[in-house]
Amino acid sequence: MSKTVELGQRRNIVVAENLRMVYRVGKVEVSALRGVDMTVREGEFVAVMGPSGCGKSTLLHLLGGLLTPTSGHVWIDGVDLTRVSDARRTEIRRHKIGFVFQRYNLLPTLSAAENIELARRIHGNGQRNGTRSNVEDILAMFGLEHKLHHKPSELSGGEQQRVAIARAIINRPAILLADEPTGNLDSVNSQMVLEMLQNLNQTHRQTIVMITHDPEAAAVASRILEMRDGKILNRVRNLYYTAESTGVQA
Amino acid sequence: MMKHVYANLLQRPTRTIVSTLAIAVGVVLILVSVGLTYGQLADSAERTHRVGGDFMIQPPDASFFFALNSGTLPVKLQRVIEEVPGVEAATPVLAKFISERFHLVFGIDRETFEKVNTSLRFVKGRFFDRSDEVVVDTLYSASNSVNVGDRLDLLGRDFLVCGVFEQGTAARVLMPLQTLQEMNGTPDKATMFFARVEKGEDTDAVYRRLQEKMPHYKITRTADLQDIMAANTPVFRQFLTAIVFLAVVISFLIILLAMYSTITERTREIGILKSLGASKAYIVRLILEESFVICLLGVLAGFVLTFVAIRLILIVFPTMPVMIPGYWRISAAAMAVVGGILGALYPAVKASHLDPVKALGYE
Repeated sequence: MSKTVELGQRRNIVVAENLRMVYRVGKVEVSALRGVDMTVREGEFVAVMGPSGCGKSTLLHLLGGLLTPTSGHVWIDGVDLTRVSDARRTEIRRHKIGFVFQRYNLLPTLSAAENIELARRIHGNGQRNGTRSNVEDILAMFGLEHKLHHKPSELSGGEQQRVAIARAIINRPAILLADEPTGNLDSVNSQMVLEMLQNLNQTHRQTIVMITHDPEAAAVASRILEMRDGKILNRVRNLYYTAESTGVQA
Repeated sequence: MMKHVYANLLQRPTRTIVSTLAIAVGVVLILVSVGLTYGQLADSAERTHRVGGDFMIQPPDASFFFALNSGTLPVKLQRVIEEVPGVEAATPVLAKFISERFHLVFGIDRETFEKVNTSLRFVKGRFFDRSDEVVVDTLYSASNSVNVGDRLDLLGRDFLVCGVFEQGTAARVLMPLQTLQEMNGTPDKATMFFARVEKGEDTDAVYRRLQEKMPHYKITRTADLQDIMAANTPVFRQFLTAIVFLAVVISFLIILLAMYSTITERTREIGILKSLGASKAYIVRLILEESFVICLLGVLAGFVLTFVAIRLILIVFPTMPVMIPGYWRISAAAMAVVGGILGALYPAVKASHLDPVKALGYE
């Protein structure tokens, strides 16, 4: 059985159906999403590309349950986020989703290790969750074992983003949502972060949805969706995985 | 979570210190007011009790704070009291408050006083014999550098200090009753009487007889004075209630302001927490825990500042009695914490309801 078939058999972990999002700015209504349909299967690495203002970030926020759509549905691992309470949506985000942001969004008052520990505590709803990965191990995995006690202000942009990725995956979320993760990084650090994401996807079968406007960044994904004016274009580019990566041809 | 709380407090040291001090001010306000009020009450009750005798007789509407009373009882009432079966002796006392030195002077009739009193012990000198002589207690002697043989100006009159007695009985200064009556413009009047019951007599029975004989007078068992004074001081209770209310309001407003400003400046951080899946309850708890730690620091600082404040008061007014009952320390701490937590509640709930996307985009 080929890996292509394997992927085909994997369940849909993210499904968006006819997603519409209208913002009201004063008396003016602005449509950010105009009927987005998309499906991400477990273990996929999907990049969503498009110019600024095309609705990429809104889509990511909707997939992460940070926003509620004006209409349409978002299913995360079989649960329709648009039909559950805010508390349940938060719970799903806590247990199923990890976020990586362009601006890293680490808490400035906490060290690298404490930032990751905080995510673990939140996952345990205030209690230390001892069943999950060790903070030191995960930082070592990203080559940051010597920066455990450094505050974000003492880390470079690349190091901060690596801590942010470590924080996002410490609780082994079903889906990793990355919002322009290389947007603030130089080319060397961008490459390092992208390799990490690719490695997470290929080695740990981490499902990733990444938003970017950088074609080079998008190239590491197994599938690229192009967005324009609040819609996903029919023209969806499939990339070929090499045999050394997943061996999957989507 | 506590690491996060401590990190936030250390990140903004000025806010933490100012909030802590504000909470401390509330605690100091409560404890110093309580200390002075209860100190006055306890000291007054103890010294009155140690005048001796089993009963104190006052006019019906008289206060237990002798400084508030004038001399209105006729001295001849002494005979009426002594006629009550079971009463061994009675002695009149005229009390006068010396405001500039914040203490009481008792005018006493030495002969009858010595029949009723058993606790007065002279450490130096002797009891007064003449109308221009006074005796002072050890605390007064030490704090005013007054000793036997010194001259003392009281209410514009010159006295010779002829004795120093151990503090804790009656007033800081004792002088002949007649002298104080003259100075007060109330000849043959007293503020109160103390009566001693004969040995072997049933105190309750004598009390009933006194009440029958003097139905319109306020007759108090000296043994019960401290409790009665504490329970029957509505003015002081109202005063303390006002102080406690003020302290709670200070805690409430300071924490409200501090936490409200902190959630505004940490909006983005709250957005991050929400993106990590922090529930509303988690965010509320985080803010409340931060407030709780500020309140605890404030309470500790309050205790230290109260100690310092009382030391300073005693330097300025050495005769000022101060007593802070243990339960008031607990109450002051509880009030400060409750005020602080209530103050943090609104900002905490507001933070928990922030829109995560807007919060993440906050600059």
